[in-house]
Amino acid sequence: MSQIAGHLEPYLVLAGILFSIGAFGFLARRNAISMLMSIELMLNAVNLSAVALGVFIPALVGQGIAFALLIIAVAAAEATVGLAIVIAIYRNRKTPLVDEYDTMRQ
Amino acid sequence: MSGDLLTIAPLITVGLTAVAVLLSDGLTPNRRYAPIAVALAGLGLTSWILLQQSGGTVTALSGAYIGGPFVAYLGLLGSAVVAITLLISPDHLAARRYPSAEFAATLLFALCGAILVGASGDLVTLFIGLELMVIPGYILAGYAKRDPLSTEGAVKYFLLGSFSSAILLFGIVLLWGSTSTASLTEIATALTAAGAGLQPAVAMALALITTGVAFKIAAVPFHYWTPDAYQGSPTPITGYLSVGPKIGAFVLMIKIFLIALLPLAASWIPVVAILATATMTLGNLVALTQSNVKRMLAYSSIAHTGYLMVGIVAAGEGEASGIAGVLFYSVAYALMNLGAFAFLTAVQGRPGATVQLSDLAGLGRKHPMLALLAALFLLSLTGIPPTAGFFAKAYVILSAVQAGGIASVLAIVAVLNAAIAAFYYLRVVIYLFMRDPAEVEVQVATAPLLRAGLVVAAAGTLLLGLLPGGLIEAVVKAIAS
Repeated sequence: MSQIAGHLEPYLVLAGILFSIGAFGFLARRNAISMLMSIELMLNAVNLSAVALGVFIPALVGQGIAFALLIIAVAAAEATVGLAIVIAIYRNRKTPLVDEYDTMRQ
Repeated sequence: MSGDLLTIAPLITVGLTAVAVLLSDGLTPNRRYAPIAVALAGLGLTSWILLQQSGGTVTALSGAYIGGPFVAYLGLLGSAVVAITLLISPDHLAARRYPSAEFAATLLFALCGAILVGASGDLVTLFIGLELMVIPGYILAGYAKRDPLSTEGAVKYFLLGSFSSAILLFGIVLLWGSTSTASLTEIATALTAAGAGLQPAVAMALALITTGVAFKIAAVPFHYWTPDAYQGSPTPITGYLSVGPKIGAFVLMIKIFLIALLPLAASWIPVVAILATATMTLGNLVALTQSNVKRMLAYSSIAHTGYLMVGIVAAGEGEASGIAGVLFYSVAYALMNLGAFAFLTAVQGRPGATVQLSDLAGLGRKHPMLALLAALFLLSLTGIPPTAGFFAKAYVILSAVQAGGIASVLAIVAVLNAAIAAFYYLRVVIYLFMRDPAEVEVQVATAPLLRAGLVVAAAGTLLLGLLPGGLIEAVVKAIAS
């Protein structure tokens, strides 16, 4: 099995920081593409924690990588659909800025 | 191994049906109803397989997939939802020059996900099933790709949906890491063994999972995406989105909160109870102020989320009839809400038409049958006997009263909310029958399939209201496993 040096905690802390940056980016950015990138960052933070838990917790050895691979596949599917939707709305509106998508607000 | 394949046969059948639908469209292009016929045949076959499996619980794939009465119940409900959506959609979409084969295939893939959520025995399958269910939903929300409203709704649905998926997923991974197992039942065992106190990692997992799930079921204050996504989507698709993914998310909630996290019930019950109160109240109050009927129904679906959450809280308090209430409510809600959206589809015969309340004035004189069916769905949504909606509300509220504690407070809130809701549902009925016809008449769609869909939904709504006994037996059987 692969060996990673050190302890579990730093990896989880790093994952937490990456996840928070992603969440902040999602909430703070107005560009739909940037928001999509922020979501990818959050999912990669989850991947990092899944792999780290899978390496350091004896009962989960090997499972973490399988979990991470599945998450990567799901993230790819999600990004594909997301980009398609963003392109579709860009053709209709000629802007990627989400705060200008307000036709239905009453 | 071959036993495993037999157990997951419903999943395989639905997936292959989706492929067959696309192939049939390639072989016989420009035939609007061929893909629909193939899809309905596949759904029939799936239902038959599910009925064969409803006898006893079977696990497959090392416990990742649990087949049996629970999956049979949910799979049959999902098949019915998809079948009704397939009946009411194709002509509406064709009138706006959108294809129906891709639509049918996307719906079937979503049904695969819903079945997988219902059958999942561990966190990984649960998450894959959830994503397989919601990603087709994003596609469907933006199905009218030349319509700015549809794509706007889809962007909001997609962005907040994926954001909430990421939050939920982080919670799932933390829960998996801190209990050292992915199996739902083993998580419950590990949490019971860990004792009453909340470990920090488990507490964080609980917070993240609750937030993620609240987004998925559109609970207040995580509901922002709902009205726009529902108003923007083509009307029959809105009907599906307000029913299919929502019920699927409640099944996810049953799996996570009532199986895996049941030992922590004391920690999550207050949060879910507050969310339920806010969801019911805000959903209904905002629905009161809407003049666009589609947007009003979007807010009403938020309120129904709140009623369903009452059942979850009751079940968390240890009252088994809470789950039964949620399962019964799901069926009733699916039929009456799909029926209401089928009615809206029918009055949008002209492409580009929106439905304002004033457009419906006097419809009862010109189209009495259609208006009667609409009144039936609206009365059922209100919760007036003898309709499915009455028994659904009655069972959920009754289970909350029996559970006692915080759930009995929720029961009172639910009853008060049902009274508020009656105002805006019945206002539509009054417009239908007691107002003079509008100057510009709405153009009513008369496609035979749409009529069939309306009749099926209406028959179900009425039948469950007159004879709820059969479904109650099925519910009891489903949760006994």
